[in-house]
Amino acid sequence: MSNKLSSSVPTDREVVLGILNNSEDVLNRLYIGYFPMILQLILNNNGDEDDAKDVYQEAIIILYNKIKSGDFELSSKLKTYIYSVCRRIWLKKLAQQSKTTGNVSDFEDVIAVDVDVEEHEEKDLQFEKMGSALKNLGEPCKTIIQDFYINNLSMQDICEKFGYTNTDNAKTQKYKCLQRLKKLFFKPDTA
Amino acid sequence: MRNEIELEAIIEDYLLGKLSPEEKEGFELLRVNDPAVDHKVVAHKFFLDSLKQYGDMHSLIQKMDKAHAEMDMESLIEEYKPHPSYIVNMWRKNKSAFAIAASFLLISIFSIYSIQHNTKQNGTYEVMRREITNIKNSQNKLVRSLNAPAKQEKGHLNAAKFGGTGFALTANGYLCTNFHVIRDADSIYVQNNKGDSYKVKVVYRDPQYDIAILKIIDESFSPLATLPYKLKKNAIGMGENVYTLGFPKDDAVLGEGYVSSRTGHGGDTTQYQVSIPINPGNSGGPLLDNQGNIIGVITAKENQVEGAAFAIKSKYILEALNAIPQDSLGKKVAFSKKNPLQGLNRTRQIEKIEDYVYMIKVYN
Repeated sequence: MSNKLSSSVPTDREVVLGILNNSEDVLNRLYIGYFPMILQLILNNNGDEDDAKDVYQEAIIILYNKIKSGDFELSSKLKTYIYSVCRRIWLKKLAQQSKTTGNVSDFEDVIAVDVDVEEHEEKDLQFEKMGSALKNLGEPCKTIIQDFYINNLSMQDICEKFGYTNTDNAKTQKYKCLQRLKKLFFKPDTA
Repeated sequence: MRNEIELEAIIEDYLLGKLSPEEKEGFELLRVNDPAVDHKVVAHKFFLDSLKQYGDMHSLIQKMDKAHAEMDMESLIEEYKPHPSYIVNMWRKNKSAFAIAASFLLISIFSIYSIQHNTKQNGTYEVMRREITNIKNSQNKLVRSLNAPAKQEKGHLNAAKFGGTGFALTANGYLCTNFHVIRDADSIYVQNNKGDSYKVKVVYRDPQYDIAILKIIDESFSPLATLPYKLKKNAIGMGENVYTLGFPKDDAVLGEGYVSSRTGHGGDTTQYQVSIPINPGNSGGPLLDNQGNIIGVITAKENQVEGAAFAIKSKYILEALNAIPQDSLGKKVAFSKKNPLQGLNRTRQIEKIEDYVYMIKVYN
C-alpha cells in the first residue's frame, strides 16, 4: 500500500481542515499516525489490540464530532488530546470491568477531557440505539431507510433498486419502515 | 393513513427546505395553529438528525476500519506490547524524564567543564601574574639601576648597582626602606640631601611585607634632630591627598597623588593603591598625607595599569620596628604626639622632611 506517502502524520491544522472538508486522506493519516501511541497505552494496561481499536476509534469519533460541531479549539497538541481522551475512555472501561479502579501507566502528557468524553457517551448511546433499531428493523426496510436518509438516494433510485412498480408504493413502504424504526428507536430500553 | 404519509412527506420536504415559499408559509402557519403538527415536525427533525448522525458515524467507522486494516498490526503489537524487560519498560514510560535527566547531565558536564576551563584560564592568569611579579621584583620594584659611573663618593669608590629611597625612623640612624631595594646587597650606603654618604647595615628584613630596617653605622654620622613627621597607625581613607619624596634621580623628587584604593595589588590588604607618579628609585620612599604623617612606604607600581602605585601601610613599619629590641632603637620610636608638620604648607613640610629622606645605594 502507498504507506510511504500517506503515513506521515498530518499537522494539527491539517487535521482540523481535513475533517471539516471530509478529506479521507487526512483521516487516514491521522488514524494511522496516532494509533501506535494508543496501542501502546492499551497493551500496557491490561488490554488487547481490539480494545485499542475500540478506544481509539471512539476517541477519533469524539475528535471528529468536536471539529464538525465547529467549537473545536486547539488548547493542546492534538496528540495530547487524543491520548487524554483514550486514557479517559480506557480508565472507564477498566473500571466497568472492575479490573482496576486505579491509574494507568502513562506514556504521554494528559489533559482534562472528561466533559468531551461524557458528551460523547450520550451520543454514543443514541448511536447504539439507532444501530440496534436498524438491525431489528430487518430487510428490506433497513436498506430502504439507509439508502434514502443516509446515502441520499432518490425515491426513483430506490424504486428501481427494489423493483417497486411506482414511487408511491415505495413512498408508502418507506413511510411504514420509518414508522417502525421510530417505534424501535423511541421505545424505552428493553435491554 | 394517506394523509399521514403526505403530512410526513411535507414535513420532510419542509425540513430539507424543498418547499416553495408559499407552501413554506402555509406550513409554518399550520405548525403554529396545530401543536400536534408542530410536535411531529420537531420529533421528525430529531429523528432525522439522529439517523443522519448515525450515518455519519457509520461511514466514519468504516473509513477508520479501512485505515485500520492498512496497518501491520502484528509488528505494531510486537513493538508496543508490554516488554518483559523492566529496563525497556522503564525507558518507554519515562522517555521524557530520561531525556530531561540526560540533558541535565549534559548541561552539568558542560558547565563543570567550562568552570574547569575557566579555572584553567585563571590559573594561567595566576601564572602570568607571578611572572609580572617576577618582573616587578627584578625591574619594576622601582629599583633604579645606576649604570652610569657614579661620582666619587666618600667611603666607596665603585658605582652603586641599585638605588632606592629610605627615610629615618629614629634620630639615631634607623632607616626604613623596601626589602627588595636592599635584597642581594653586599654593602649599602645612604646619602642625604646634602650629599653625605653613610654606611648602613640591615638590622631587620621582612620579605613578606617588603620592609627592611637599616641602621647607619658610619662613625661620621651625627644623630639627627627630632623627627618632624610621625607614623600614622590608623588606616587612611580613600581619596586622601598624599605625596612622596624619592630619589629616582640623584636629587629628591616630589610626587603627589591620592589614595585610590584601600588595598594593593590583587586586593593585598597590607598595601594601599596610590595614584601617584613614581619611577624606579622611588621604592622605599615615605608616603605622607597632608598633615605630614607617614602613612606608608612606596613599594611598587603596576606596569599594566595606569596610575596605580602601591604603598605598604605604615602599620607594618611599626610591626617591623617592634621586632627590633627597643633599647637598640635608642630614643623611643613612637614619634611625638604632636606632629610638627601639621598646618604647614607643602613646601614647608618638604623643607622639614627632606633632611630625613635618604637615597639608598646598593652595591653587590
